[in-house]
Amino acid sequence: MDMDLDVPMHDAIEEQLSPTIDEDKNGGERDDAGGNQLTTINTTNPNGDDEDDDVDLNVGGGSGIADHKSAKPLELNSSNINQLDQWIEYLSKCQILSEDDVAKLCKMAVDVLQFEENVKPINVPVTICGDVHGQFHDLIELFKIGGPCPDTNYLFMGDYVDRGYYSVETVSYLVAMKVRYPHRITILRGNHESRQITQVYGFYDECLRKYGSAAVWKMFTDLFDYFPITALVDNKIFCLHGGLSPMIETVDQVRELNRIQEVPHEGPMCDLLWSDPDDRGGWGISPRGAGFTFGQDISEQFNHTNDLSLIARAHQLVMEGYAWSHQQNVVTIFSAPNYCYRCGNQAAIMEVDENHSRQFLQYDPSVRPGEPAVSRKTPDYFL
Amino acid sequence: MAAENAKSKDLYPLALLMDELKHDDIANRVEAMKKLDTIAIALGSQRTREELIPFLVEVAQDDEDEVFAVLAEELGKFVPYVGGPEYATILLPPLEILASTEETLVRDKAVDSLNAVAQELSQDQLFHDFIPLIEHLATADWFSSKVSSCGLFKSVIVRVKDDSLRKDLLALYLQLVEDDTPMVRRTAAKNLPVIIDLLTQNPGLSTNEDWDYISNMFQKIINDTQDSVKFLTVSCLISILKFFNTKGDHSHTRDLLDSATKLIGDEAWRVRYMAAEKFDDLASQFAQNDEYIAELIQPFLNLCEDNESDVRKAVAKQIPGFAKLLKDPSIVLSKVVPAVQSLSMDESEGVRASLALTVTNLVTLMSKEEAIDHMLPILLNMLKDEFPDVRLNIIANLKVVNDVIGVDLLSESLLPAITELAKDVNWRVRMAIIEYIPILAEQLGVQFFDQQLSDLCLSWLWDTVFSIREAAVANLKKLTEIFGSDWCRDEIILKLLKFDSQLLENFVYRFTLLSALTALVPVVSMEVVSDQILPFVSHLADDAVPNIRFNVSKSLAAIVEKLRKDKPTYDETIKKSIMPLLDRLVKDDDFDVQYFSKISLEECKKLLE
Repeated sequence: MDMDLDVPMHDAIEEQLSPTIDEDKNGGERDDAGGNQLTTINTTNPNGDDEDDDVDLNVGGGSGIADHKSAKPLELNSSNINQLDQWIEYLSKCQILSEDDVAKLCKMAVDVLQFEENVKPINVPVTICGDVHGQFHDLIELFKIGGPCPDTNYLFMGDYVDRGYYSVETVSYLVAMKVRYPHRITILRGNHESRQITQVYGFYDECLRKYGSAAVWKMFTDLFDYFPITALVDNKIFCLHGGLSPMIETVDQVRELNRIQEVPHEGPMCDLLWSDPDDRGGWGISPRGAGFTFGQDISEQFNHTNDLSLIARAHQLVMEGYAWSHQQNVVTIFSAPNYCYRCGNQAAIMEVDENHSRQFLQYDPSVRPGEPAVSRKTPDYFL
Repeated sequence: MAAENAKSKDLYPLALLMDELKHDDIANRVEAMKKLDTIAIALGSQRTREELIPFLVEVAQDDEDEVFAVLAEELGKFVPYVGGPEYATILLPPLEILASTEETLVRDKAVDSLNAVAQELSQDQLFHDFIPLIEHLATADWFSSKVSSCGLFKSVIVRVKDDSLRKDLLALYLQLVEDDTPMVRRTAAKNLPVIIDLLTQNPGLSTNEDWDYISNMFQKIINDTQDSVKFLTVSCLISILKFFNTKGDHSHTRDLLDSATKLIGDEAWRVRYMAAEKFDDLASQFAQNDEYIAELIQPFLNLCEDNESDVRKAVAKQIPGFAKLLKDPSIVLSKVVPAVQSLSMDESEGVRASLALTVTNLVTLMSKEEAIDHMLPILLNMLKDEFPDVRLNIIANLKVVNDVIGVDLLSESLLPAITELAKDVNWRVRMAIIEYIPILAEQLGVQFFDQQLSDLCLSWLWDTVFSIREAAVANLKKLTEIFGSDWCRDEIILKLLKFDSQLLENFVYRFTLLSALTALVPVVSMEVVSDQILPFVSHLADDAVPNIRFNVSKSLAAIVEKLRKDKPTYDETIKKSIMPLLDRLVKDDDFDVQYFSKISLEECKKLLE
């Protein structure tokens, strides 16, 4: 044992995360998981001096992954299944795919996702999960708690990228699983599955760092346009990333939206990905600068109109991993434990069995050998 | 034309490497450096010596540390590429430059490579080139070169047969031990045990004069003002003791024992920690004399009561090892057991967990009655510790206790401890106890197990966390391997099949049951598979949940794999009930059921050919 080498390992992490501390304060009691305000987003090209100069990073289609869309859903055969199984094995060890393989994967994914409906119908049993935010090892922990896919069916409600250090691995893995087992896993779009947001909150920079160019970021953000925006579990549980919209009264109205586009700054599609439930009744202005807040009256009306038992959504950090609101008309599920590696929260997933019984499973951050264990206790000097 | 082509082809690798090594991006330069061996092979040994090495000497003086680190490592493998050992000394100049850099990582790699090259050098080369290199580094102005030189003596010291030359080397090493900079003294102290161990392996080599130098070095290190140097004395002391014990020379043992007690009682906790960490090894060097061992008892007990928990934690693991040296059970009971007693209630959970790792071995030093009177209460208490690792460590090491006092006396506390751990809110603790169950089963036997533990093992199947259910399934399989097929049928399978049908309305429980039965197929008899397992699996083929149906297909393949071993008896079962089921599942509406059933069907057809 060489005791000269005792170097504290936290400093670097703390430093990088310090902006988040301010953001969370802005979120105040609401525990704002998105943590960001749309109005503050920098829409200019953050990568000023390279060849991307002439390309507007906020317009889709640049990557070419959707240039040759198929007219029918991707058919799995032994050769592409083999390819996918190899990728999945590789990704499950937290290793990234090559740029060429990401391009192939995204092309296949377009031909799966473009045929899914805006309101994706889902059968029970299914396990519903919230934000993951690039915390790849905690995603693996999630599967240890809930069971591996495809044996267990999963529904993820968006926000796979940004914040955590492994956004590329996380989104690659989930997309590969989606293409390999389209009937066993559903991945919805979150407000972070967007060109604008990912330029500010980490995914863009991570792609640049891990691949040396923005190509992979372009492919994935082009692919995000095809992600379904809501899901309906057995006609009873309405699942989406954010919340309701004043312009949407029925589930059928969601079906009529054109979702294949960058997340707009306003309008129903924006609201579904950005809104939050609130203690105050009626509609309110969201402090996030996008979407709305909605009260219990709104949730009850929506559930009644559409014959629903529950709205399940993610989007906000909740310390226990899940939280009921609006007298059990709405549940928030958050699946990134110790969010941003510092929030000390538990994560949760919700199992819905074939008789619609629900069970919440809470879990803590994964234990990685060689890393200092994270204490949930706040040091005294913060109090 | 052709000749010119061939020549440009020859030049190509070196030109390419040089281009890459001048690349702006450091990542490219590092990558290029990693391909150094390929380039050397392409160039051949003569051009490697004449062109590549001079070029690398330049590189070694003008690049970044990342590139140096790779270069230093690569050069250690370069002897074959320069034309074998006779040319190996050409590698020394670039490595010497790298061994003098400021970055520790580069220096360490350069020292490793220098030692690797030294292995290949002839005696002449050693004297003519390598020893002057050591002298050069050791007498340099800057501390980094001196630090590197400390790591090189081990390659030469026993190859120098000339006494006066070896004495000169040791004199040089003494200078390093006395150096002004602590970094040099620390590295010298760290490498001294290696040098002494080499002398121990060649006991006839070293002279008394050599040992005057070593003794001098030891005195310098033990009296060093820096804790980080001083605590390295413990390893030096052990090596010195080993040398004299090997030679059968006990004339210095008295003095060395005094040094040992001084170190054990040192005022710097790092020194005491090191003594505690290596106590067993240190004390066993005095084992030939019971009086000396007796003198170590009090210092040992002091370590057990040390103010620093890290010291107590280190010594807690050493207790049974030292107690064995005492040879006298009455001293163990009167001195050691009270220390164990107080460590078992230590305020630091780390100390208690560390104690729990080895403490059960103490019972082997006692009679059954003594173990029951003195050790059992302590162990039972530790089984109730509030910190799960303490309980787990005790449970993992119960075999020796069982051998001495039998399981009955333990069971009263053991069972509540296991049940408590089995219900821990942290699933990783539950996981840990499940993994110990097969070990316990082997240690405690089937009777104890059935009465007490089999219900607990089944209950883990219904845990909310998947990984626990998975571990529970694996546990049942391991238990069946220990207790046999009949036990499994009566205690596990029949109980599972009688399981509350209401709970089976939940897909998770049906899935777990299916997994458990499938896992048991390879380890139970064919009758159990065909009479108990197959009917249940077949009836799940109509399950409403596709995930169950495709796992039925996987399960059926495992059943066919088992039953085909007795074709005459089960041929009909396979052909009339299993294969038609798979044929049907292949045509299922769900894509994944089709896919996995097709794989199973193909597997079965292959098996039956």
